[in-house]
Amino acid sequence: MKFSRMHTGRVITALAVVAIAGGYGVASSAADGATHSRTSARTAAALPGTGKPAITLGDKNFPEEYILGDLYQQALEAKGYKVNLKPNLGSTEIAWKALQSGQIQAYPEYDGTLLATIAGITKNAANAKAEAAETVSWLGKHGYAFTNVTPFTDSDAIAVLKTYAKAHGLTTIGDLKKLGSAVKLGGAAEFSTRYPDGLIGLHKIYKVFPTFDPLTISSFYTALDSDQVNAAVVFTTDPPLKTGKYVVLKDTKFIFGFQNVGLVVKQSVATEEGSAFTATVNAVSKLLTQPAIIALNSAVEVDDQNAAAVAKAFLKANHLL
Amino acid sequence: MHNFIDAFQFIGRNGELPGQPHFTTLSYYALGTLKIALIAMIISLVIALPIGVWLGHIHRGSFVAINLGNIGRALPSLAVLAIGVAFLGIGLKNVLLALVVLAVPPIITNAYVGLDQVDPDLVDAARGMGMTGWQILWRVELPLSIPLVMAGVRTAALFVISTTTISALTGYSDSLGEIINDEASYHLSGVLGAAICIAAIAIVVELLLAAAQRLMTPAALRRQGLGTDEELFLTLGVDRVGVI
Amino acid sequence: MSLPFAAGGPVIPSFGSPHTFACERANRVFCWGWFKQNWAGTLWPALRQHVALTLIAVVIGFTISMALALIAHRYRRAEQPLIWFTSFLYTIPSLALFELLVPVPGLGLSLTTAEVALVAYTLLILFRNILTGLRNVPEEVRDAARGMGMSRRQMLLRVELPLALPAIIAGLRIATVSTIALATIAALIVNQGLGVPILSAINNSTGPFKTELIAAGALAVLLAIAADGLLVGAQRLLTPWVRARAA
Repeated sequence: MKFSRMHTGRVITALAVVAIAGGYGVASSAADGATHSRTSARTAAALPGTGKPAITLGDKNFPEEYILGDLYQQALEAKGYKVNLKPNLGSTEIAWKALQSGQIQAYPEYDGTLLATIAGITKNAANAKAEAAETVSWLGKHGYAFTNVTPFTDSDAIAVLKTYAKAHGLTTIGDLKKLGSAVKLGGAAEFSTRYPDGLIGLHKIYKVFPTFDPLTISSFYTALDSDQVNAAVVFTTDPPLKTGKYVVLKDTKFIFGFQNVGLVVKQSVATEEGSAFTATVNAVSKLLTQPAIIALNSAVEVDDQNAAAVAKAFLKANHLL
Repeated sequence: MHNFIDAFQFIGRNGELPGQPHFTTLSYYALGTLKIALIAMIISLVIALPIGVWLGHIHRGSFVAINLGNIGRALPSLAVLAIGVAFLGIGLKNVLLALVVLAVPPIITNAYVGLDQVDPDLVDAARGMGMTGWQILWRVELPLSIPLVMAGVRTAALFVISTTTISALTGYSDSLGEIINDEASYHLSGVLGAAICIAAIAIVVELLLAAAQRLMTPAALRRQGLGTDEELFLTLGVDRVGVI
Repeated sequence: MSLPFAAGGPVIPSFGSPHTFACERANRVFCWGWFKQNWAGTLWPALRQHVALTLIAVVIGFTISMALALIAHRYRRAEQPLIWFTSFLYTIPSLALFELLVPVPGLGLSLTTAEVALVAYTLLILFRNILTGLRNVPEEVRDAARGMGMSRRQMLLRVELPLALPAIIAGLRIATVSTIALATIAALIVNQGLGVPILSAINNSTGPFKTELIAAGALAVLLAIAADGLLVGAQRLLTPWVRARAA
């Protein structure tokens, strides 16, 4: 086959332009996450969200956040809102920066984390309600709204094998004091620098001085099982906790505080989207009890199901979709 | 740009975090990275050099040797590390295994081509002078193939340093990647500081290896202009282009 | 169905039924059920994004490298600095380069940042290969062309570049395959590409999820092999005079 040189050049240039344009097109559309689904049964005019400006919703970089992002997005879209989902943004710091820079207009956040990491308030509130109220007021001062918090709280917790707890008579975190540095505590690296909900809190408030072993997120429970560590810093909504194999030591001094979830939304955006927007988000949040979120987490983390599919099934079963 | 200033400050205080145990400083992780990389390189060289050199010497196995390089290039390091960890658990041995898997192909390919392309006339002349196969290998072929063999070693070294830092994402590593992966503790300034360190380490290693290559290249070849990678590349031309 | 809070709590359906998740729970080597279930939602989009990432990077990298190579071809003194520059970029470990680009104003955690890094890695290979290809055009051929009265531009387009094609395409092959492998790291910066399922499989709280790892990893390797094959085919098409090689 003989190609004339000019033709080859033109073909290659054309292909290049198409490739770049198409590439960016595919990449940016794919980045928007789940496709927009519309309930075809109802007419567009009946839905409160029609005509309202599109909103970009982000979520942080772990499965529970993916689930929350999907839940809110799908519920809102069922009400006619246009929601672009930007999943897996990164850590708290990164998500907050994205919110401030306008890259996203809302994301689900844990009130305790927000106060501690973003607001720099390290004193825990007396109870979950107070924590939520404090978050609402702090965010309000900075131009953000915080929707009603979920019933579930995803706080840090110290878990041990049931057998270990029995052998050493452990029910509360304070009970670890008697084991001194013989107890190996595993957790995410950042645990060691946090106060009060970290190693420093354990030192100062509980006077517990375990040997700390930084682990990666996927190995907390396997490390417990294989005796690599005696105790691990886990999250209260982790699926393995419902198997009964592990015991969560009671946090009698509440160093781990409260971590209920609400949607942080730019105040102006929340007003623009209307009251039905907040009402829809609240309706979803109300459903998320501790058992519910653990079941959702379990489906995604243990059964490795797709977060969006799991969210859809949950919303459907509860008539929000 | 204040991020970069913060990053240099981070480097300046050796990455110490308040309240953190001493073994999470920048220098600790930097040394850790070098240690792992060195062990991996030694293992890879011990495995790959003899194979590549031998195949090139006997001029056999070109299909395997060349395509090994291609396949090695196609393996995403993150996937190789992750699969190693998933099947063998977290630990130094498994990280080393992944590193060796990634480093061996370029060493074999380059060693093979290096030995294979030695001028056959020279080999004949040596044989005519009465040299045995072994003597030809050691006194003629190897010195003449040093540039290409070293090119393979350098490529492998870059792969290994790069992948060592990535291994922090899959669990264990004691490398600078730990800092990069832990943005929550070290913040962006720390992540940047660690990134600058890794880049610096890689560049220094590369320069050292380039100097070593230059020193090891026989004077005669150096005069011909084959002492550095670039000269080598441009002189040997198209046929050797596949062996970066 | 009953009201949401009939029993004091929301309805929690049994997700994914009637499919049982025995294979996933046991984290067996490869669960076909999972693969089929998640192809459309997770793996296929990731694959598409990965192709896009690679394509953009290679095309832009090729354009830049071609420009640089033509400059070095014309002005010999530019060659050494350009080699140093592209080598320097190539030497920086991928994790570091991605992170170093993030704070640059205008980049941040976006697709563009990932592309800049990926492009940077292609430059050395492509630049060197194109330059070598151009350099290796036999002097006699160039003399003949000059003798025929061709201008510099004509010589470039009609003689030098076509003869340099084998080297150029060899470089494209290497650059494309390397980029496909590197693009998995882009998942650290932006939620795109096959690195995303790999990272999410690694970070599974019940242990690294083998099926997803193998699926995503295998897709990346297969993509690389396919791309390599396509480029070999393109080379045979465009340069039929070059003897087909085994490599």
